[in-house]
Amino acid sequence: MSTLNFKLRQAPVATVDLSALIPAKLAGLSTGDIEELPLGALKVADLFDVSGTLGDAIVISGGSPLLDYVGAGLDGGSITVEGPVGAYAGRGMRSGRLDIRGDAGAYLASNARGGIIHVTGSAGSFAGGARPGDKFGMLGGTVVVEGDVGERAGERMRRGTIIARGKFGAAAGSRMVGGTLWTETGFGPRPGPLLRRGTLIGPKVDDMLPTFADCGRVDPVVLRILSRSVAQTLGALAPKALPIIVHKFAGDQATIGKGEILLTG
Amino acid sequence: MSGKTINGIAIDDTFAEAFGMSALGLVITADSLKWAMISAQVMTGFGTSVIGCGAECGIDRALSPDETPDGRPGVRVLMFGFSPDSLVPQLRNRVGQCVLTSPGSACYNGLDSPTTLGLAAGPRFFGDGWQTAKKLGDRRFWRVPTMDGEFVIEDKCGLTTDAVGGGNLLILGRDRAGLLEATEAAVEAINKLDDVITPFPGGIVRSGSKVGSKYKGAVASTNDAFCPTLKGAVATECSPDTIAVLEIVIDGLTSKSVAEAMRVGLKALIDVGAAKGVTRVSAGNYGGKLGQHHYHLKDLLP
Repeated sequence: MSTLNFKLRQAPVATVDLSALIPAKLAGLSTGDIEELPLGALKVADLFDVSGTLGDAIVISGGSPLLDYVGAGLDGGSITVEGPVGAYAGRGMRSGRLDIRGDAGAYLASNARGGIIHVTGSAGSFAGGARPGDKFGMLGGTVVVEGDVGERAGERMRRGTIIARGKFGAAAGSRMVGGTLWTETGFGPRPGPLLRRGTLIGPKVDDMLPTFADCGRVDPVVLRILSRSVAQTLGALAPKALPIIVHKFAGDQATIGKGEILLTG
Repeated sequence: MSGKTINGIAIDDTFAEAFGMSALGLVITADSLKWAMISAQVMTGFGTSVIGCGAECGIDRALSPDETPDGRPGVRVLMFGFSPDSLVPQLRNRVGQCVLTSPGSACYNGLDSPTTLGLAAGPRFFGDGWQTAKKLGDRRFWRVPTMDGEFVIEDKCGLTTDAVGGGNLLILGRDRAGLLEATEAAVEAINKLDDVITPFPGGIVRSGSKVGSKYKGAVASTNDAFCPTLKGAVATECSPDTIAVLEIVIDGLTSKSVAEAMRVGLKALIDVGAAKGVTRVSAGNYGGKLGQHHYHLKDLLP
């Protein structure tokens, strides 16, 4: 598989929108054409040394929290970033794979519909969330974050799965309407404010909202489907299969309350 | 109808006439294979003939835990109907009454196809508003709270309109008990194949029918030509020594699967039949004018 490389020459001094650098938008362009592509006030060659040939894979060597919209709109192929990225990574992504070897900023995978995103560091606030103007947050796909995830992950998320090896910050799953947040470490304070539907899974919760109703021990079959589906999608990246029995809290009862927090611990 | 004689069994030079049908496949799982099988058996019960049952249903095969979406033991069932529309109420009622109700059950699509039917279209509303869906990849699963936990049912199931119903073998014998044993062996061989079912009791029909009746309102009546007790009284298809005739009816997801099922059934009969009193194998047709699919026995010989 041929790879197109973007080597960051120096850290940018202001945010840069990298949504132009996905395989579908670069198809048919020569290296010269790509170097001339505008990135806001700059052009590609101002920031990156471009080498290699375009196929399905793009590698960005060197990252910065000022590189926004990395892999936004990705629809097939892969993008690997050797370093951190800024906000909106994988926004509106439809398929393919985005690997971030570092931290990701806010709104990771916002509005994403499919594909896989893997972050080896931590992710900022509103991961999988809706930004102002969006009707919904994440709409599909799978995100794996090796570290922690910031506050309000899954804000108005509708479908898809976000898995964190670390902890979700405060108010994870706020106003969520569907989908799954799954942590191997635990949730920060008060997850699920105004959660309508959707599933939050983790070993513990720092502070449970009083509007979540204790439903006791349950053994829903859907967790077996979820474990298998995630294992199939992610292979080696998949978390350990869920236990058969979990402790269910139904809420948020301040709204329709069809969501759930499932404690595995 | 004189054809070949193999291993002492005469194979008529005739053909089985079968019809294009619509079909769907489901996977039923439960906590044990026993309970998946109970649900599948009840769900496919009273599903012998579209004429009287609305659908022809049967168990295709048992599935190991690694073949099912939830990692539990399962059973694949197939349902055949005249048209997609005719399968809709059958699917709703059979799943609603026989799978939803069965302890620990879950129900999934069992046939990959671009055309689909709404599998959860009826049963999910049993949840009375408490039902929720979980979409994983491109599959959506409904979760319906029940007294033993949760009934999981996939949103849609695949549908094919390339299915074939009515592949058949007519087996004539001079010993009724032996004939039944040999026919059972043929059904067993057919059941080993994927994508086919033998919808009649134990896979065997003893009351083969002809089209029409002397009575108004009856669409089918006994196939007198193959009734041994009438062989002197009617234009008979029986041989002079025929004491009983049994039929295997085969429905398959493809024409190829039906042909293959007839082939392995025929082989089993030829292998074990003569010792058990099987004298002839024939096949049922309507002169070739009604069904789109013709399976000539001479093409299916081992």
